[in-house]
Amino acid sequence: MASEKTDVVAESLLVKTTPRLSALGFFMALPPMLLVICFVGLPILIAFTFSLGFTTGPNRVVSIIGQEIHKKDHWWGTFGAYKDVFHDSRFPGDLRTTLLVTFMATVLVLIMALGIGIYQRMIGGRLAGVMTTLTLVPLFVPVVIASWAIHTFYAGDGFMRTLFSHFGINFPTLTSTVSAIIIGTIWTSLPFAILMVTSGLQSIPDALIETAQDAGAGFFRIIRTVLVPLAITPIVIAGTFTAIGIMGSFTIPLFLGPNQPTMLGVEIANFFGAYNRPQQSIVMAFVVFAAASGIALVYIWANVRSAKQSGRI
Amino acid sequence: MTEALQEDGLVLGGLTKVLGGRVIIDNLHLVVKKGEMVSLLGPSGCGKTTTLRMIAGFLIPDKGDILLNGKDVTTLGPEKRPSAMVFQNYALWPHMTVFNNVAYPLKVRKLSKPEIEKRVHEALNLVNLMHHKDSRPSQISGGEQQRVALARALVQEPDILLLDEPLSNLDAKLRVKVREDIRDLQRRLGITTVIVTHDQDEALSISDRIAVMNAGKIEQFSTPQELYDRPETEYVANFIGSLNHLQGGYNDGQIIAGSEVVGIRPEDVIFTKGQVPGSYSATVELVVPRGHFSEVYLKRADAELRAFISSDIPAVGTTGYARISKALIYQDGKLVRVA
Repeated sequence: MASEKTDVVAESLLVKTTPRLSALGFFMALPPMLLVICFVGLPILIAFTFSLGFTTGPNRVVSIIGQEIHKKDHWWGTFGAYKDVFHDSRFPGDLRTTLLVTFMATVLVLIMALGIGIYQRMIGGRLAGVMTTLTLVPLFVPVVIASWAIHTFYAGDGFMRTLFSHFGINFPTLTSTVSAIIIGTIWTSLPFAILMVTSGLQSIPDALIETAQDAGAGFFRIIRTVLVPLAITPIVIAGTFTAIGIMGSFTIPLFLGPNQPTMLGVEIANFFGAYNRPQQSIVMAFVVFAAASGIALVYIWANVRSAKQSGRI
Repeated sequence: MTEALQEDGLVLGGLTKVLGGRVIIDNLHLVVKKGEMVSLLGPSGCGKTTTLRMIAGFLIPDKGDILLNGKDVTTLGPEKRPSAMVFQNYALWPHMTVFNNVAYPLKVRKLSKPEIEKRVHEALNLVNLMHHKDSRPSQISGGEQQRVALARALVQEPDILLLDEPLSNLDAKLRVKVREDIRDLQRRLGITTVIVTHDQDEALSISDRIAVMNAGKIEQFSTPQELYDRPETEYVANFIGSLNHLQGGYNDGQIIAGSEVVGIRPEDVIFTKGQVPGSYSATVELVVPRGHFSEVYLKRADAELRAFISSDIPAVGTTGYARISKALIYQDGKLVRVA
């Protein structure tokens, strides 16, 4: 009887408080939402309209200052700035470099993160712990410092060439090459990827690995059929975050990369500042944004897959 | 040991395992006959899972031998042993369907596709889960998951099946059903089986023999009936079933002064309204209903006794007579006589 009464009271409380709680929840979520809308969403919208030749309103000043500005000739705008960029002989090289660096660095980062993560998960011990800790060091070194260190390390008069010259070996100068950008982006991206991948691998219960062993599977089959598939969501998330971060990187390609072709992050800054062609720089930014959105789709796919597997959807 | 070597089945000879500086298994000997179902029973921390993991190959003993059907497997890894283990939490791979979970050991052995399909279907039919072959583990119930784990173990046609508390995650009703299924399958296939459990009911109901473990050693290895009727040590008597545990001596149905321990099963305490030979005056102090019987607390001049009574349950305050039909007398923890 008493419990029936309690149930009724609880039910009535639930009915009364649910709309109030929803409203409270909405208002609590409002400030960050407004912040994103005002400081991210709105600038994206304004920039997009500017790239299409809408040169009035908030785009008026930049239209006056900038060079080679295209003004809209249809109600929806113009593709003039887009044509400029896609017909510019520098752009394909920059895009290729950006995609190449993103792909190569992401793959290498994932291979290293998986290597260390699997070593720690399957073998463990003090050495694995020390290795994981060491790989986290770059997290605490500012990118600009690390870039400069890598620059001097691989420069024409840098450490590597000096060292190898003692043995009569002509070590290549990597500074101002795409390879140096890849080395630099791996340095900055590896710690986060290791954290993600290692935690994903560590969360796999021992019993799932032991069952595979019990079924007769060897080391590499366990990695291929159990560890990687079970940690695929954190691996994909680490990969997408790494790729998006590398694609939009600026400091490392500026310090370590060649002048031309270079990564789009540097080229966007050049077009916006040095060349004073803001409309074209925004078009490039949208190209990077489109590529990053493609990577984001992989991230969404990984999350949906994980939710399906665990029966959440 | 030489004699045991010639036997088919499992032989554990003087197993010792030290973990973290602590002796977990201490010179353990056990012989499981071919086709027999043996339970390792004991409280948490007694070393039963460690023993099972050594049999499976997940742990290598510091001392001793493990022989399977006469072959020394002591130092072999789990992937090289002719054993299959069912884990406590089923350990089904969530990214694979039921079919692929069961097919995994066969794929590892590189069997042909038709052969894999045939054997997986047979195994799934055996556990009545053919209709779930395309489901993911998250889409089936705990009991069904347990049966998938069992099918995955059985499909390997192992020489020995190892079950690590396979029923502990199931609710009481399902536990009874699945343990009957396991027993039925084990009998039909005649597969040598070692099951780890801390549940005495489970052990008593499905085992051919039970090894009661305590602090890394086997206290007694007997049939369920023998274990219950004649527990060789005070520890086993206390662990298996209920017991009136009385300090003193025993003479002519009475507890007397002494240095022994008298163990009396509650069902061996008989309460009657009228006096019969060997009975003594007793008063009912408390009655606790236990479903198909009642636990009755009796006070006699020599001792307080618990009795299990299934019919004519006396009310609290009733005066009658209590007789002890059987008593187990222990000296220094060992059984010295049954009176």
